[in-house]
Amino acid sequence: MLFNSLEYFVFLPIMFLLYWFVLGKGLRLQNVLVLVGSYFFYGLWDWRFLFLIIASTVVDYFVGIMIHRNEGDRPKQKLWLWVSIIFNISLLGFFKYYNFFVDSFIDLFEVMGYSIKSTWTLKIILPVGISFYTFQTMSYSMDIYYKRIKPCHDFLSFATFVAFFPQLVAGPIERASNLLHQITNKRTFNYDQIVSGLKLILWGLFKKLVIADGIAPIVDDIFLNHETYPASTLILGVTLFSFQVYGDFSGYSDIAIGTAKLFGVELMSNFKFPNFSRNVAEYWQRWHISLSTWFRHYVYIPLGGSRVSQGRAIRNICIIFLVSGFWHGANWTFIFWGGFHALAYIPVFLMGRNTIYKDNVVGENSLFPSLTELGQLVLTFGIVTFSRIFFRSESLTDSFNFIGRIFSDFSYAPYEHPNGYRMLDYFILLAVFVLYEYRIRRDERNPFQFKSKAVRFLAYTLVIFTMLLFYDSGFDRSFIYFQF
Amino acid sequence: MKKLVIKLGVYAFLILISLEVLVRIFYLGEDKPSRFVDESKVEKWKPNQEGYSVTGNRNQNFVRYNINSSGFNSYQEFEPTNEGYEVALVGDSFIEGFHQPYKSSIGRKMELELGETIKVFEYGYAGYDMADQMHLIHAYREDFELIDRIYIKMKFSNDLNRGEYYVQNERLSLESPLNKILKKSKLLVYLSEIGALTPMKNMVNDARILAQGGNRPKSVTQGKTESKDQTFLENFKNLVALYGYDKDKTVLLMDVSTTPKLFLDYLDTNGFDYIDFGEKLNNANRNTTLVYDRHWNNYGRTLIAELLVQDLKSIGVAN
Repeated sequence: MLFNSLEYFVFLPIMFLLYWFVLGKGLRLQNVLVLVGSYFFYGLWDWRFLFLIIASTVVDYFVGIMIHRNEGDRPKQKLWLWVSIIFNISLLGFFKYYNFFVDSFIDLFEVMGYSIKSTWTLKIILPVGISFYTFQTMSYSMDIYYKRIKPCHDFLSFATFVAFFPQLVAGPIERASNLLHQITNKRTFNYDQIVSGLKLILWGLFKKLVIADGIAPIVDDIFLNHETYPASTLILGVTLFSFQVYGDFSGYSDIAIGTAKLFGVELMSNFKFPNFSRNVAEYWQRWHISLSTWFRHYVYIPLGGSRVSQGRAIRNICIIFLVSGFWHGANWTFIFWGGFHALAYIPVFLMGRNTIYKDNVVGENSLFPSLTELGQLVLTFGIVTFSRIFFRSESLTDSFNFIGRIFSDFSYAPYEHPNGYRMLDYFILLAVFVLYEYRIRRDERNPFQFKSKAVRFLAYTLVIFTMLLFYDSGFDRSFIYFQF
Repeated sequence: MKKLVIKLGVYAFLILISLEVLVRIFYLGEDKPSRFVDESKVEKWKPNQEGYSVTGNRNQNFVRYNINSSGFNSYQEFEPTNEGYEVALVGDSFIEGFHQPYKSSIGRKMELELGETIKVFEYGYAGYDMADQMHLIHAYREDFELIDRIYIKMKFSNDLNRGEYYVQNERLSLESPLNKILKKSKLLVYLSEIGALTPMKNMVNDARILAQGGNRPKSVTQGKTESKDQTFLENFKNLVALYGYDKDKTVLLMDVSTTPKLFLDYLDTNGFDYIDFGEKLNNANRNTTLVYDRHWNNYGRTLIAELLVQDLKSIGVAN
């Protein structure tokens, strides 16, 4: 079930009404409803893969208990932690990476002069959300191992924590320390929280349906036919893709966070206006926060983080970016994308500027950014957008062809929309979108904060009206990050 | 909770009203003319209606239509005479031309090329197939006997599903009292046109199918392509037998590249004339269809008009 489908807008009010007004007085019944609803939500894609979620839930539930039970016996605890890691990574390895490894080995042998006919690749469907929920369950076991939390002894609550439908298929990848206690404790009906959730859902839908889906046909056309377009069009294509992927994924996260609010649950923020980052390090503090902090907490810091020699710290940076790239997909393009970001991050790290923007935003004390900040924003956006060529291309060959054409055919030609729409509409739309996001840059969880009720109402109406203006019934509206 | 429900209700109502206003201000929802079945059992538009037609989410194509007293979209009345030379174009939405200014229709372009003494009447109606078209010619035979040349636009794969004419109640159900009320909301018309209501309709259909036991109706198309082509050919023969066909003045207008050889051979051996518009349109150096839908654009219509004028010149109607 997609967040932007009619089915969801039937499912959600039913869940909401049952949750608060039929089962509102019983926490366990509410959790049963959320769990059953979440399995139904997931099962509509492919019910066969429900067993993977259930298996991951059962394994980490018992691993958590066993790690806690063996307190004082660190080797045993470590052993149980490895059970969780090996089990979850095996799920990922088989369903997501098996064919990639087989193909890569075959390619390697061919480079060495041995021709191998592949009979090992399998027709495997990637289960939706597997990269998200396996990371969530693993983090639970690791948090118990590192004594950050106590294990949950209520299987129903734990299963609800793993399968909580707003964030099940594409995050935010929640930590038990934030979500689990909200599941185990009684939630109260809070009018302001629900209104705030509805606003986030509306804003998320706008980002998805208008920004991401509106731009998608242009991006698809340019990347598919990149060999026929001049540099100006290719630059336009990858720039628009930057907005598309942001609108798509942050839109999804907003809907997820907004939906959770309807059920009295606060999920962590996943995006904090990454397009207004002043360097690559700040970008990674604002983009897909739940994943970048996951890698920080469970890979980077255990490896020593930055509190080791400079050489080892650089090695650690390279590792998390490469692993992060690989997490996105079983393709060398993602590994290159991660590697490119590592290269862009290291100079910022060496200059000691990787944490200077942690607690402030661009234009912190003024309405507009300074000229220096503006230059930083453009440079960072340019670097991140350039890296998107690897992220979007089907293969490394396509990526390098794309880049090659930008530099070898540096010419301009006006671009026409593949379906004949006026391009100016999209430029105006993006300009208004960027300006509005800049206005609300301090608070990613509260769009539509206008003092005047009339202005707020006008904003709702215009957002819905724009959704209609850019609605495309013939377009596949699934979310980009579902493939990860 | 009460506060939430009331506020949501008020907001939803006010937003719907505002959207209705915005859709009307920007002319996004088109007018829907009324249709009916006349005493000759011909389905067409109710005479003497005016309005505008819109294509695309953002009003990318906006044109006025003018339904004449005969019930067809045209700048003129259809009054064939013994003295003058009249041409009839019979067809579906491509001839009806709600997507084009009616003053630059194919017929009008032909008239301007041939001289004002020759009149071209466009009997076009969205959704017409061969059964509709041949029944229309038969039903209005008094008029068509006065008309000197008839061009029937047809697409083999779409237009020969029926071997006999009957009134299509599905289209007429759009004239139900409920639909008439709904059509008054430009917002609803707009939502329907851009496909935003399709998921809702599909959901209702799925629920209905589920309630009826869960079996989806099987596709009407059965068998192999060859047997389907043969069925369509038999339907054509049947229509000719039922409604007549004046081979001396009737010409089929079709895309030969999408028409099976079986049918072309039949036409050739039995003396049915046809004009191929596919070659000219497919080899055009510019786009011949609208960018927002598949109907012919101004250039496409010009090419079709040129083809028909060429045909008329070839039989000595004009120089």
